Amino acid sequence: MKSKTQNDNSLIVFNDVSYRYDSDTDTPLPLALKHINLDIKKGEFVAVLGHNGSGKSTLAKLANAIFVPESGKIFVNGMDTSDESLEYDIRQTVGVVFQNPDNQLVATIVEEDVAFGPENLGIEPKEIRRRVDDALKAVGMYEYRNHEPHKLSGGQKQRVAIAGIMAMQTDCIILDEPTAMLDPKGREEVMSSMQKLNKEMGITVVLITHYMDEAVKADRVVVMNDGQIVLDGTPRQVFAQEEIIENAGLELPDSAKLANALRRQGINLPEGILTPDEFVEAFKFFVLGGNSV
Amino acid sequence: MIKDITIGQYFPGNSFVHKLDPRAKLIITFAAIIEIFVCKNFLSLAVIVLFTAVAVIVSRISLKVMLKGLKMIYFLIVLMSALQIFYNEDGDILVEWWKIKITTGGVYTAIFMAVRIITLIFISSLLTYTTSPTALTDGIERILSPLKLIKVPVDTLAMMMSIALRFIPTLIDEIDKIMSAQKARGADLETGGIVKRAKALIPIFIPLFVNSFRRAYELAFAMECRCYNGGNHRTRMKQMKLSWRDWVMFVILAVMLAGIILLNHFFGEII
Repeated sequence: MKSKTQNDNSLIVFNDVSYRYDSDTDTPLPLALKHINLDIKKGEFVAVLGHNGSGKSTLAKLANAIFVPESGKIFVNGMDTSDESLEYDIRQTVGVVFQNPDNQLVATIVEEDVAFGPENLGIEPKEIRRRVDDALKAVGMYEYRNHEPHKLSGGQKQRVAIAGIMAMQTDCIILDEPTAMLDPKGREEVMSSMQKLNKEMGITVVLITHYMDEAVKADRVVVMNDGQIVLDGTPRQVFAQEEIIENAGLELPDSAKLANALRRQGINLPEGILTPDEFVEAFKFFVLGGNSV
Repeated sequence: MIKDITIGQYFPGNSFVHKLDPRAKLIITFAAIIEIFVCKNFLSLAVIVLFTAVAVIVSRISLKVMLKGLKMIYFLIVLMSALQIFYNEDGDILVEWWKIKITTGGVYTAIFMAVRIITLIFISSLLTYTTSPTALTDGIERILSPLKLIKVPVDTLAMMMSIALRFIPTLIDEIDKIMSAQKARGADLETGGIVKRAKALIPIFIPLFVNSFRRAYELAFAMECRCYNGGNHRTRMKQMKLSWRDWVMFVILAVMLAGIILLNHFFGEII
């Protein structure tokens, strides 16, 4: 059943969603999410930003029916997540990659782990083989298919986890702080895999993170604070709201911070610088006084 | 240091023995063990000893490794042989001193028993030395799958086993980290008597358990996300297929069994 609020372009729709975690004591915990409205379109690369406890991880577990909202509705491709009979269809549409790669790899061999999802779906062995090979090639881990996961680096493990979701051929992958436990090289590997998924394969990617530099690479940035969405727009629009970003316990990307600091010192740089490349271009322009080299 | 522990004792290789189907290997091992106990005299025992020797040579597992497997039961072999020598009173008397009589029958039985146990250990260690734990789990799962008919949750048990195998190295890493962390805070793990050292382990194991529960919780989420529902309607990517090797081995074992029974019959029984 399609909901009225959903147009055909939407993949995940949050409709006035609130959620609270169960309390161990008699007093209920405060709401973790407060009346969230969010519409994620097919093919988008969305970054969800927020400090710890802002409710951004809860979003991921709600979107694939691990949790069910206390009030409001979530529709995934038109399917209501509170309908238990649709659980498996929803999880075949939206896959989640979690923060700690060690705690989401199930098998003792890389390719068998990637095969875990499709095996659960009851797919033919030959088709599983094909999907597993394709997924491992897509994340650049094909040569490691017979390795043991615990001997891989963090970035490699996380790419195996991404391949495990890809092999289920979901329309959307939600990554819940996938780079939080990785070193810069591992972060780079995972980021480029995600961009490849989105740009080349058309998979919708929702990246939950607290790294600004990763968010800058998204098509759309959603900022959360205290269980609410405080900003939603393109990276340029969102990072122009310095005050709201800082109130949400976040910082601007390094390049933007540097540009702003220089601007305050009277150095005439344009607004809206987000990446190191943009900064270099603008600064070159300033130093050379407009005479390009 | 703790990382040096190897679990399952698997030695990767590409030999005939390694290439056998894990299900076939389980059956072959089981059958060979039965045949060892069917042997009643030295000639029939020689058949199975020869079989084991050839299997060890073909597998290219070094003799040193094989002998290491005996260390654990060295004492048992000596004890059993001694009992046979002193209590068995068949055959000619070799030595008689005070109340102790050593007879040929006793000596033969002692040797027979020792050879039998050593062969048994060799055959069964060869199984784990040449089969990866994953393949072994898969093999057990598939051999036991008929039990599903009487509602034994074979899939679930196999999943538990494979998750256990998957997390052993992870937890060993974690113990290493916790030990370093506690040492950095002045914990003394290496001195004192047994009681003191056992007590020193408490601050290692409590965080380990707490973390394990957290891991289990997260793993359960991740498995749910990947549509795991307890193994019903699961398919498997890797299909197991018996090859000519496996059939050759089955034939060899059947022939051996026939040979052993004939040898038992025609050359007398010493046990």
